[in-house]
Amino acid sequence: MDSHADAKAQDFVDDITGALQQGNSLDPLVDLPDGAREEVVDLVSLIQGLRDTLLPVEPSAEFAAHLKTQLLESEAGLAARLRKMPARLHVAAILALFAGFSLLLSRRLFGASAAQEISEEPVATAL
Amino acid sequence: MELAADDKEAFGELYERYLTKIYNYVYYRTGNTHDAEDLTAKVFQRAMSHIGTYVDRGLPFQAWLYRIAHNLVANWHRDQGKRKIIALDDFVAHSLQSEAPDRWTEEREEQKQLMEAVRRLPEDRQQLLLLKFIEQLSNAEIGEIMGRTEGAVKSLYHRTLLALREDLARQEDIGAARRLSGKEG
Repeated sequence: MDSHADAKAQDFVDDITGALQQGNSLDPLVDLPDGAREEVVDLVSLIQGLRDTLLPVEPSAEFAAHLKTQLLESEAGLAARLRKMPARLHVAAILALFAGFSLLLSRRLFGASAAQEISEEPVATAL
Repeated sequence: MELAADDKEAFGELYERYLTKIYNYVYYRTGNTHDAEDLTAKVFQRAMSHIGTYVDRGLPFQAWLYRIAHNLVANWHRDQGKRKIIALDDFVAHSLQSEAPDRWTEEREEQKQLMEAVRRLPEDRQQLLLLKFIEQLSNAEIGEIMGRTEGAVKSLYHRTLLALREDLARQEDIGAARRLSGKEG
């Protein structure tokens, strides 16, 4: 199929899908050029099958309500409370975090250099 | 939308508007209620925690939400390897409306085969069909979600139908050959 016929077929398939989804008649689509017609008519039952198979489902009311509560309470619980904290507490929290990271970093550095010294010492082997 | 970043009531409204849409999408991609609920919850949790970045990017909210859902579902398939063990009966049972038992059985079998064929499609094609048939989105909206132009969506849809038709015909041939060999044996 050349690109023009291909584009035509794509348009027809799209139009037919729209018409089937909206419950409209397919009559206006019967006047198709021969090349496109064979291609499209064959696909109509497939499109109808998809329309009848892929139907919306509803989440359970319990799930919907539970998730909503969970989302809104967690927002109110942690993030909102953090935002509402006074500025001096924000500064204190940042300083505490900085101190914690510095401590961890220094321990890692000292720990790594100590481990290196140990590994560089000659190891006595039995003769 | 900007309100939603700070205002929990605004986020609650967005939740109400999109919950069923996202749930449907995830449900059809996973095939069971349990994982659909789990992943839907993760989509909204992630949306809530990243809503600030959404406001900065300017992508339509619906498209942004579907992209989160798509990524989470893709991770789910990758991590769990569950793609092959989808319970198809659930999909089919709820969609049948025929009262006649014979017709019901026939329709059920046809829909089951079609659903199996849909699930054999590549991810992007499955996504396109779900957005078109279940969510009934326009090609432009689907394009926003999938990061494609409207024309590319139309073209992909056409190719998807052709591939589905081929696959169904192939499966029918395989089935006929099996029945034949069963009779001969």
